[in-house]
Amino acid sequence: MNRRLLAVLLVTGVLVSGLCSGVMAEEGVTDTEIHIGSWGPQTGPAAAWGSVPRGTDAYFKMINANGGINGRKIVYHSFDDSYNPAKTKAGVKELQEGTGMFAWVVGVGSSPGLAVRDYLMERKIPWVGPAAGSLHWIKPPHKYLFGVYPLYYKEAKALVRYAVENLGKKRVAVAFQNDEYGKNGLKGAIDELAAHNLKPVALVPVEFKDTDMKPHVMKLRRSNADMVLLWTSVGHAVRLVGTSKAMKFAPQFMSTSTCSDFPLMIHISKGLWEGVITAAFGELPDSDNPLLQTYKAEAYGKFAAPKERWGVFYYAGILFAEPLVEAIKRCGRDLTRERLVKELEGLRNFKGIGPVVNYKPFDPKDPNSRQGTHATFLVQCLKGGKSKKLTDWITIR
Amino acid sequence: MDMKRDYYEDVQFFTSGVVLFWFVMLILFLLAYPLMVKNYHVYVANYIAINIIVATGLNLLVGYTGQISLGHAGFFAIGSYGTIILMTKAGFPFLLALPAAALIAALFGFLLGLPSLRLEGPYLAIATLGFGLTITQVIGRLDLFGGREGLHAPDLTIGSWHLDTDVEFYYLLMTLTVLLIAAARNIVRTRVGRAFIAIRDADLAAETMGVNLVFYKTLSFAVSAFYAGMAGGLYAFVLRFIEPEIFTLMMSIMFLAMVVVGGLGSIMGAIAGAGLLSWLDLQLRNILEIPYLGTWLETLSKSWFSITGVSNIQFIVFGLIMVLIMLFEPLGIYGVWIRIKKYWRTWPF
Amino acid sequence: MIDFLQMIASGIAVGSSYALMGLAMVIIYKTSEVPNFAQGEMALIASFFAFMLIDSFGAAWYTAFAGALLFAILLGCFLEYAVLRRAKEPNILGMIVITIGLEMILLGFVSWKFGADQKTMPFPISPYDSLVIGDIFVSTLELLTLVVALVIMLVLFFFFRFSKLGLAVKATQQNPVAARLMGIRTNRILMMTWGISSFVGCLAGLLIAPTIMQPYMMWDPMLKGFAAAVMGGMTSLPGAVVAAYLLGIIENLFGGYVSIEFKSVVAFAIIVLVLCFKPSGLFAKHYVKKV
Repeated sequence: MNRRLLAVLLVTGVLVSGLCSGVMAEEGVTDTEIHIGSWGPQTGPAAAWGSVPRGTDAYFKMINANGGINGRKIVYHSFDDSYNPAKTKAGVKELQEGTGMFAWVVGVGSSPGLAVRDYLMERKIPWVGPAAGSLHWIKPPHKYLFGVYPLYYKEAKALVRYAVENLGKKRVAVAFQNDEYGKNGLKGAIDELAAHNLKPVALVPVEFKDTDMKPHVMKLRRSNADMVLLWTSVGHAVRLVGTSKAMKFAPQFMSTSTCSDFPLMIHISKGLWEGVITAAFGELPDSDNPLLQTYKAEAYGKFAAPKERWGVFYYAGILFAEPLVEAIKRCGRDLTRERLVKELEGLRNFKGIGPVVNYKPFDPKDPNSRQGTHATFLVQCLKGGKSKKLTDWITIR
Repeated sequence: MDMKRDYYEDVQFFTSGVVLFWFVMLILFLLAYPLMVKNYHVYVANYIAINIIVATGLNLLVGYTGQISLGHAGFFAIGSYGTIILMTKAGFPFLLALPAAALIAALFGFLLGLPSLRLEGPYLAIATLGFGLTITQVIGRLDLFGGREGLHAPDLTIGSWHLDTDVEFYYLLMTLTVLLIAAARNIVRTRVGRAFIAIRDADLAAETMGVNLVFYKTLSFAVSAFYAGMAGGLYAFVLRFIEPEIFTLMMSIMFLAMVVVGGLGSIMGAIAGAGLLSWLDLQLRNILEIPYLGTWLETLSKSWFSITGVSNIQFIVFGLIMVLIMLFEPLGIYGVWIRIKKYWRTWPF
Repeated sequence: MIDFLQMIASGIAVGSSYALMGLAMVIIYKTSEVPNFAQGEMALIASFFAFMLIDSFGAAWYTAFAGALLFAILLGCFLEYAVLRRAKEPNILGMIVITIGLEMILLGFVSWKFGADQKTMPFPISPYDSLVIGDIFVSTLELLTLVVALVIMLVLFFFFRFSKLGLAVKATQQNPVAARLMGIRTNRILMMTWGISSFVGCLAGLLIAPTIMQPYMMWDPMLKGFAAAVMGGMTSLPGAVVAAYLLGIIENLFGGYVSIEFKSVVAFAIIVLVLCFKPSGLFAKHYVKKV
């Protein structure tokens, strides 16, 4: 009888202590490891975006090679979702409920992200730097979701302002991808033009499936625009510029930071990208910024897959993860999700290779409490993919 | 042993005690499943169940009536959007909104069925494909549907039952799936189903026998669209977020592949095909984590291919499975099953 | 008026690549009644083969293009011989699923080997050079595509009408059993048509590649080519070409005058309308099934 009681007590004791240790350490954090998850399309039509999580991977490997963060190594779990929200949700659930992630970083695409946003937020799991130009992340703001991505609305305002004020352009036309990405840029352009008492002379939507750009260029040409703002994918932007050249239509072209990878743009446009002005979101690939050079040598140089390109998308993966890494550093050994959120909120004028990052304590009414970046600068593409900085960092409120 | 002696024996639901026994076991298994596994597997089961509903409906059209559709993602989208819009904008309760949206899908199915009266083969394929592409384009254009920015699914409540976990949704979904499959099985065994089969085998002959081609062909499209609409409405709550770009041509192609790989003209086949392909669709992303195979693939990529594209091995495996099944067994998985059954029944001869 | 003429010219220009893909699909459909969904990807892998020859082995573009065309023929023959011929008791839907499976395999290989980064094929004619005729612009590359499409159409037309081999193909298509009894090796004829079709598709791929190369580049031309083939009657070579140009022109006029957003899907709506009145397409004789 006694022996049985003893056994019961023993088992209960083991169970309780097991439970306690589970409660004490945060999910996804051990003495030596921090588990961080991410996703991105490595296959499918959007696979060009797959270099973003690969960039993050190299960045984390660099950190681990330098001894990790406060004695812990980052274990990075990134999976391929083919830009299919059903697969994103499956992968996130599997990793979260299987291994247990401490936090999520990057995560490419708005519809994949939106399919898992509520799941992560309900479980109070932090997610830093979603790689998609959507306002859904910060409108309304969520306590555990921190945006790093550029706001296209503001980029478009900066570009149009420069065109009108510095270049004296009056007839502005916009070619935009017919989705949230393009429409955010469009809205910024229209608002900024309205502030100068101007109206766009032509608005030309580009469908993602379109391959022939002649009808679009004809519309632009008919409007006699002297500046055309391209808010499309890389491929479409190149084709619009090329087709314009073929049709002898030569306005000033301006474009978004998505198209600011000049070596790539020059290569696929066969040199026609020269002279185009774009917004830039982070340092440029050949910038002499010391931090960027460190990343290029230590992360890309040592851990990138063979044939990987040091492109804007690739080091965007580093850029999006910088605030998370900084906040984890500031947490010290006491790493919990609540602490992490507090440290993220405490970031003031944090400068990595992107614009300065600022968060504020959570305010459900203030999207800026969860949108860290507000600045951009403008660059012009020169021969051979070189670039010229036209402005310094501009902050647009 | 397999001889049917009268009509009632032919149409009865459980052909023997053994079938009844396995059916009860299956129901019990389905009931107990969420208690045995992690939440993630419940989600996978939900995803598969939704594809099973679509495949069952599409099978009525493709397998039983002999038509072809490359536009079922369109009906699926109508179901998804219809359910959410009816709930949020018109205040319908879920249990009313879902069939209502599916009926709208069925109406579109009826309309698409009209040209099918004169079309067949590749002509019908292109017409339905065009429908699937156009419908998402139209939805993306209209602000009522949230445009390209998509829509969030509202909270799901039935009476006082609040379904906010995968497990709760699983029970709702499984109930509907079993009911819809049973309904399909019954349709096939009634006059309607026999008319479908007659049309598939020889539509002119069927017409001379008194089968109303106009009615039954459009009915087949409508019923099949109804199934896709139901599945679409449920899918909206699996993802909790929808946007037009989810409902791609690739989705329509996968639906068709599920039916064909599973086995045309067999309910069990459609279930098996949908199960296999949608499971592969979700699970193949882990292919590089299989011990030995994963590392071998990575070394192979390093020397011959590119390591950044190694995930595309999923496509190759997926395609290979599809091709191999179809090469060796035109009746798909169902055909394999029949062959195994025959082998055992006549063993050792 | 200038706008209108420009739209017509642009429509004809863009129609040429649809026409080549349409021709490729018709050739296979004529003999084996399979709508070949792998057509685009067969052209894709051949185009990337040319890219590889130039990029990794430093071949000149003409050597690389010739190599790619040869590769395409071999690939077409191989796929027919090794895969489609092996199908047991083939039915149309089964064959469609097999071609879809092949499509995924080929696409997987290309993406695996070359990654998803956008590339362009080195080619002496820039896709962005243009000729000005009156006030109308035509890009040089598109003019070349147009010439290639018309030449290929004529060659195929004469081949099927007058050459011995072409007649054998026709016989196989009309009645395989009788053709075999007449001493035609129908298997070999089938294999050959796959080779020819793959060759024609590869031309389309090679002429698209100087503009942009990525694993999904053939998706749209393939669908539009398929649509054109169907509209033209699925068995008629000139029909596919005419329908392809019609589609291109309609797309451009629709984009110019009605709605640029629905430009890419208007083709399919037109087809449904056309098929309602001419169920077997514009140029094929309506085939009445015998009971």
